[in-house]
Amino acid sequence: MSVELVAYVAFFLTMALTYAVMCLGLNVQWGQTGLFNVGVAGFVAIGAYVSALLTTPDAPDRFGGFGLPILVGWLGAALATGLASFLVGWLTIRLRADYLAIATFGVAVTVQLVALNLQSITGGPFGIGFIPRPFANLAGDPLAFSLLNLGVLIVVVALLYLALEHLLRSPWGRVLRAIREDETAALALGKNATRFRLQAFAIGGAIMGLAGATQAHFVGFIAPDNYVPLLTFQVWAMLIVGGSGNNRGAILGAILVWGIWAASAGAIASLFPPDQQARAAALRIVLIGIGLCAILLLRPRGILGEERIVSRHLARLKPARRTASNPTSPEP
Amino acid sequence: MTGPQPSALSTRALVAGYEPDLPIVRGVDFSIRSGELVIVLGPNGAGKSTFVKAIAGLVPIHSGATMLGGFDITAVPTHEKIRHGLAFVPQTENIFATMSIHDNLLLAANVLPKEKRSRRVADLYAMFPDLAARPSLRAGQLSGGQRQMLAVARALIVEPSVLILDEPSAGLSPKIVQEVFAQLKAINDTGVTIILVEQNVKAALAIADRAAILVEGQLRHEGPAATLAEDPIVAELYLGARPAGKAATP
Amino acid sequence: MNPQLIMDGLIAGAMIGLGAIGITLTYSILRFANFAHGEMISWGAYLALATSGLLGSLSGALLKPIGPFSFGWSLPLAVLAAVALTAGLALLVDALLFGPLRKRRSAVIIMVMASFGASLALRSLLEFIFTSKPVYFSKALQIALPLGGGLRATPDQLLSLAVAAILVVAIHILLTRTAIGRSMRAVSENQQLAGVAGIDARKVIRTVWMLGAGLACIAGVMAGLLVQIRPYMGFDLLLPLFAAAILGGIGSVPGAMLAGLIVGLAEALGVQLIGAEWRAAVAFMILVFVLLLRPQGLFGRAE
Ligand SMILES: Nc1ncnc2c1ncn2[C@@H]1O[C@H](COP(=O)(O)OP(=O)(O)OP(=O)(O)O)[C@@H](O)[C@H]1O
Ligand SMILES: [Mg+2]
Repeated sequence: MSVELVAYVAFFLTMALTYAVMCLGLNVQWGQTGLFNVGVAGFVAIGAYVSALLTTPDAPDRFGGFGLPILVGWLGAALATGLASFLVGWLTIRLRADYLAIATFGVAVTVQLVALNLQSITGGPFGIGFIPRPFANLAGDPLAFSLLNLGVLIVVVALLYLALEHLLRSPWGRVLRAIREDETAALALGKNATRFRLQAFAIGGAIMGLAGATQAHFVGFIAPDNYVPLLTFQVWAMLIVGGSGNNRGAILGAILVWGIWAASAGAIASLFPPDQQARAAALRIVLIGIGLCAILLLRPRGILGEERIVSRHLARLKPARRTASNPTSPEP
Repeated sequence: MTGPQPSALSTRALVAGYEPDLPIVRGVDFSIRSGELVIVLGPNGAGKSTFVKAIAGLVPIHSGATMLGGFDITAVPTHEKIRHGLAFVPQTENIFATMSIHDNLLLAANVLPKEKRSRRVADLYAMFPDLAARPSLRAGQLSGGQRQMLAVARALIVEPSVLILDEPSAGLSPKIVQEVFAQLKAINDTGVTIILVEQNVKAALAIADRAAILVEGQLRHEGPAATLAEDPIVAELYLGARPAGKAATP
Repeated sequence: MNPQLIMDGLIAGAMIGLGAIGITLTYSILRFANFAHGEMISWGAYLALATSGLLGSLSGALLKPIGPFSFGWSLPLAVLAAVALTAGLALLVDALLFGPLRKRRSAVIIMVMASFGASLALRSLLEFIFTSKPVYFSKALQIALPLGGGLRATPDQLLSLAVAAILVVAIHILLTRTAIGRSMRAVSENQQLAGVAGIDARKVIRTVWMLGAGLACIAGVMAGLLVQIRPYMGFDLLLPLFAAAILGGIGSVPGAMLAGLIVGLAEALGVQLIGAEWRAAVAFMILVFVLLLRPQGLFGRAE
């Protein structure tokens, strides 16, 4: 294999793994807890901008650059995004299920707006550049550089995966599942159920923020255009394809959908003349939109489906009381 | 079961439940003659509501059939059943609380031919003067007894041949229960066949012709109301209060 | 305070209100927040544009401006066709996507997600067909007429306000005084009981889609007439629409319209105080305040 190919594959996988981190975050919110976040892009953006502000060298034309170490940036990103998620969740989780969706959508729109217009902090439409990349001193050796970056992402994803799996099997994770699957349990827990949901939403948000930060540092440059609703949609597609509720599915879905996305770029672009490339891009989005709807219709459980880690007690209880968490009124 | 009159409504080996793999009603053969008033009794969670909801089309039927006056209505869509003369008053949420009394009645009258609608609404007001007093009142503000009256009025507006009521006396004071039951008896006397699911056994047996007892989704006992009321074993077994939540899990 | 701000706010508010009525109706009957509703606005505008262009090419006389307005007869005729086509589009999406999901009794949130997917596909399809370049119904420039008190408005703007007002009254009467309106309220309150009472929920659902899409189409035409037509026009209105629907109280038509006007006026005020680039944040602030202070909205009942 040629060096370029290895470097390219490493680049591709690194990028895919940053999406996998987003997916893992979304999985905590949606797969584990059933909370719908339509503003993934906004939360990812918060993480990316916070980390960029903390770690970039001092810039004369805007607030910050604090030149802090990358790890501090990542930690700050996770904390800030977790806090933002907590606030949104606190506002809406006690209300109707889809008010949370609407509120998160509002967050994404507003974050985009702030990124675009608060030039003195975010750099406006041009964004923030010179975000320090891990192993930047090796940039001269593309192979080592890309492989080491891939290694960083693999470590991040692996650690997250292990932590989340552990959490899932902890008493906390079991309660979360019980709340999601059994309305009586949720009702019995009452206020506590809201607290558990809120915790899950904040943790998921923090992971998305971390994802935004790692991606920003891997690419080295961020701008508001990176955080449009399409990103939210891609992450959703990844999770659904992989199978929501399943952490391995989340990772697999991210790699798969990112692969399809990257491959379709070339394929569709080649169908259109150079002056029609904007159209080609639009068509690609149409196809992924239809694709997601088709998966919802045809294979709602995703490729891997959900892992069953229900305690035996719950498993026995379940069939008698499966009012499907939130069934819409039946079609007569 | 072969009476002089044809059966107004019957079920044959009816199996029904909320989920495909979990039948709640498990093979019920039931029949009621035209003009009869039959009460369906049974402990909490026996599947009484599920049984009548299945007949009304609100719970999926897995197998078996329901016949209305010799006509198979098993597959008739829920909203069409009323046009065939089958009216149902659910156990809870049986009126449109956010709408006025008048709108509740107009809504129900909508299945009738245009020229009959206002006459039937007027008929029902005559039958339930309490409702006629304040037709623009939001139904949610009615008292418990008045709510049941409105629910019954809503069901009767189309002049059904069979009226099914699910625990209309639940939550009412004994005096109001008597009023509701007297009203039902009067309706029954006009020729409407009535199936009455009840926990209020004593009062219900007093107006019923016949009783059927449902236990764990199956018909356990059937007989004339008079003999049932005197049968101490039946009374002790099925008519006494049982702890709630004894679900009919197989 | 600049009185013109009130006029701008009212006009934006009327468009938001019309869209929000559609959101509030579909929400109260189908029970999910439809993120594809904004796309009905954009599609409505483009369908009217295409039909109007077609009519104009058939007969140039149809393009001659009517009286003081900027458009010829081709536009009102095209709007009729576009309303029908947009309603058809909504029915098509329901038949292909939401209907099957409903039949399967999918969770609310799956419906929301599906609407999100449909929104993306529909919007990008417009971009694919028409590109993202803004287009206009008419290039004619209109002089704003003085209305007294420092208020000015173009004939197009006044017509739009009048149309919005008439539509709101008509929808309100439809819901409160007619059989189909009662059926809609009944299904919205209790679909099972509505079925028992002889109401065909499928018919009601179809009616609601058509009504919502028709109103969205008209809002889209208004936006196209007064501002411009872009594939993102509806999507950019989505947050104000949701804010208005929730502020007005889910299910309330007068509430949605009143809240639409409030959101429109607040946006106009925000634009003047902090700048046009922050317009979209105003709706978000309103949304946050409603969820914080009165989540059932102005006209809604606490659950
Ligand atoms: N919507 C539902 N979905 C799933 N299972 C249900 C539902 N409603 C009731 N059940 C189950 O069906 C069984 C029978 O319930 P049903 O309401 O028919 O009993 P019932 O005899 O009417 O009791 P009650 O006297 O309390 O009204 C119970 O085990 C109950 O848990
Ligand atoms: Mg019952």
